[in-house]
Amino acid sequence: MEKGAVEDLTELLKGTLEGCVLEIIGREETYGYAITRRLNELGFADVVEGTVYTILLRLERNGLVQVTKRPSEQGPPRKFYALNDAGRAELATFWAKWTYVKTRIDKLKEGGR
Amino acid sequence: MNFWETITGSDLTREWKAFEARAEALPNDYRAAWDEIKTHLSPYSDFTGRNLMPILDGALGLLEESAADGQSIYHVVGDDIVGFSAALAGGVGARSYRDKWREQLNRNVARKLERLGG
Amino acid sequence: MGIQDIIEGKRQWRAHVARVKALPPDYQIVYQEIQRYLFKVGPVDLVDGTLLSGLVEFFEEGAAAGKGVLQLIGTDVAAFCDDLIKDSRTYADVYQESVERNSGAAEK
Repeated sequence: MEKGAVEDLTELLKGTLEGCVLEIIGREETYGYAITRRLNELGFADVVEGTVYTILLRLERNGLVQVTKRPSEQGPPRKFYALNDAGRAELATFWAKWTYVKTRIDKLKEGGR
Repeated sequence: MNFWETITGSDLTREWKAFEARAEALPNDYRAAWDEIKTHLSPYSDFTGRNLMPILDGALGLLEESAADGQSIYHVVGDDIVGFSAALAGGVGARSYRDKWREQLNRNVARKLERLGG
Repeated sequence: MGIQDIIEGKRQWRAHVARVKALPPDYQIVYQEIQRYLFKVGPVDLVDGTLLSGLVEFFEEGAAAGKGVLQLIGTDVAAFCDDLIKDSRTYADVYQESVERNSGAAEK
């Protein structure tokens, strides 16, 4: 694929990145840097730790995650995030919305009705 | 008697005195700016002035931090202190001011980091 | 309770400032500029103090991992700030809402 085609996804990713982070946390308890790495590996190269930090902050404030501080080998303790019940419900809602939008946009592209 | 002296709620008076004590510690040009900001914010006050307290608090914090940093007052409030005050309170032009502050932030960061590297 | 309490609640604030000063120079610069921006924009959340202390914690982690500050948060620092306070109303919003409410009431 042409590289230029997938650059600058910031605008398009807005609103879905939070869902992606919920999904990653939903699989196993994890921390900010690991989440960023996962998103980068997935191909979202522009996502920096700061972006993930602001998302985690919102998830925490909205009561969707359980946060545990654990000591790390280097530097200050790390915050680990796991989904709680509200978080799992939010994640299900995200996938439902995603499927809805995706199906319709695909239809549009295929020219169907 | 000016507008601010009409604020009489006792907790507000106390908060008000604390503001003025902090303002006393500012350099002269900063204190002059503080006085102007207060004047230009007064039209945005509710009956008691309570709604302005957090806004004034933020403005004073900004002045304190910038003064400690050795910035010129011009860099902090610009040449349109009426517009600046309106933007703090959410009056006319607040949105375009926020854009200006946004650009200012990125510009300052770029300039200072460059100086650090050089 | 206001930002004043964070600034004047001296011991806590001084401890906070000391933590900022312990950060690498590039982090300190960006922290100061962010704080200045937030003081102007005036998010209601700023007064509970956790926004700034949380930010310092995040910066400490990044610095400990040996990253540069822009590597950590990206070059568009303003966009990072706006994400930081995305859900938070500002005092300017509060004022606007009260004006709209009043004018709405007056029209009826």
